[in-house]
Amino acid sequence: MPILETRDLTHVFPDGTVAIEDIDLKVNEGEFLVIAGPNGSGKTVLARHLNGLLKPTRGQVFLNGEPISKNIIEARKNVGLVFQDPESQIVGQTVAEDVAFGPENLNLPVAQVEMVVKESLAAVGLSQLATRSPHALSGGEKRKLAIAGILAMKPKIIIFDEPFTGLDYPGVVQVLKEILRLHKTGHTILLITHELEKVLAHADRLVIMHKGRLVADGKPESVIYRVEEYGVRMPLRDGEKVEALTWLK
Amino acid sequence: MAEMTLFHYIHKNTVLHRMDGRLKLACLLLFSLAAGFASEFHDYLVPLSVLFCAILLAKLPFTTLLREMRFFGLIILIVIVVNSFTIPGDPIANSPLAGISQQGVSTGLRFAGRLLIVLLVSMVITGTTPLMKFRDAVEWYLRPVPFVPEARVATMINLTFLLIPVILDSFREMMDAQNSRCVQLRKNPVKRIKFLVFPLIDQTLRRADEIAYAMEARCYSEIRTRTAFKCGKIDWLMLAISLAVFFFVLL
Ligand SMILES: Nc1ncnc2c1ncn2[C@@H]1O[C@H](COP(=O)(O)OP(=O)(O)O)[C@@H](O)[C@H]1O
Ligand SMILES: [Mg+2]
Repeated sequence: MPILETRDLTHVFPDGTVAIEDIDLKVNEGEFLVIAGPNGSGKTVLARHLNGLLKPTRGQVFLNGEPISKNIIEARKNVGLVFQDPESQIVGQTVAEDVAFGPENLNLPVAQVEMVVKESLAAVGLSQLATRSPHALSGGEKRKLAIAGILAMKPKIIIFDEPFTGLDYPGVVQVLKEILRLHKTGHTILLITHELEKVLAHADRLVIMHKGRLVADGKPESVIYRVEEYGVRMPLRDGEKVEALTWLK
Repeated sequence: MAEMTLFHYIHKNTVLHRMDGRLKLACLLLFSLAAGFASEFHDYLVPLSVLFCAILLAKLPFTTLLREMRFFGLIILIVIVVNSFTIPGDPIANSPLAGISQQGVSTGLRFAGRLLIVLLVSMVITGTTPLMKFRDAVEWYLRPVPFVPEARVATMINLTFLLIPVILDSFREMMDAQNSRCVQLRKNPVKRIKFLVFPLIDQTLRRADEIAYAMEARCYSEIRTRTAFKCGKIDWLMLAISLAVFFFVLL
């Protein structure tokens, strides 16, 4: 049974924009899935359905075979979403306080909140900066803080919405390493990006979205040759293999 | 805003920084009341000297703060001058300036003294209290008040303070962007305001929307872990000092 599944998922905004239409997607446990597509193809809208932030106009999302609408808190705990703009995700005055936001929402006892915060900060390597103001962090560190805030909820699935946007080379490497480490420790990863050259070598599967529809789905090495039809830059040069598509050396 | 030290939290490890937020809030109240009740010269001297000690105790950067207080200094000066000239009363003997009254000068000085007390107490409190402590204290005081959702108020305080610098930043950026497109050539001020205000509101609402989504994604709930307060003997001592100052002024 897939850990996460959508059936006929469709979202029409009040102004009539059909953001996504008839999305059928099955994600297996432990998978590393890359979702690519040009701007406005509905990637963010899809991501926001997977933890119930947006309600579908039609269709459903299933977590472990159960519709997420049955228990929305369970869905939010299990499906962590790292937003495209880390600034909008920061609610704390200090790094530690920000990470505590999630567990405090779950009403965990104080001692347990502290423990979870310590663990999450250590996991992303931000322990030293616990008392800093989040706005004083670098781009890569901010993204890591957003990840720590999500890890504190102990999710099984983590969705990254364009995690490389606005990062410099070291920032991309930092974040990419973190994502791979999370995959290795058993998390299911959904990564939204159009910068395939940075990450595709690590993915198990590539899904392409175009104008709100899911237009291709399969092994990276087979789907990659069709990306250009759908407005995503073909990252491979002649003779190159998918394994070359990473910013980690 | 980010470059200012005044009214910003300055992280140090001192007694005042560690103090329980609830008692600190009470001290703030006592000093403000004292400022309101003060009438004689020593009524001002005592709270001001206690506050001066507090600044030293908190290791706040005194000279920097003094420099940034220039603006308020000007206001205080204006208050004194305006009062001296406008309030009728007995003229001051041997004064080189005509039109100054004794009553005017003393009222002006009183006003200035009150302003100074309030300024210094705000400076000490904001300089030594991280916003979250302040917020937690407010939440604690609101707990027994019926029909007030204290968790929601706390979250609102948090978000407001979170959004202000963001809004100011985008305001500054928009100004720069419009200036580089020669907005200053536009003579109609209404148009200029329109070009600034509408995009700013639009951007702020969008931002607020994103933050709301991000909070929801992390299971935002009003039934949440409550802060554990710690208050020691020194905290009570501070409150006692504030009480003493208050009663000294009152009596
Ligand atoms: N709140 C909204 N109201 C109306 N249309 C929206 C809203 N949010 C997104 N859209 C539209 O939905 C489509 C998909 O957007 P999105 O998922 O953000 O694309 P992307 O793939 O770049 O993440 C776009 O056409 C966008 O304009
Ligand atoms: Mg997007």
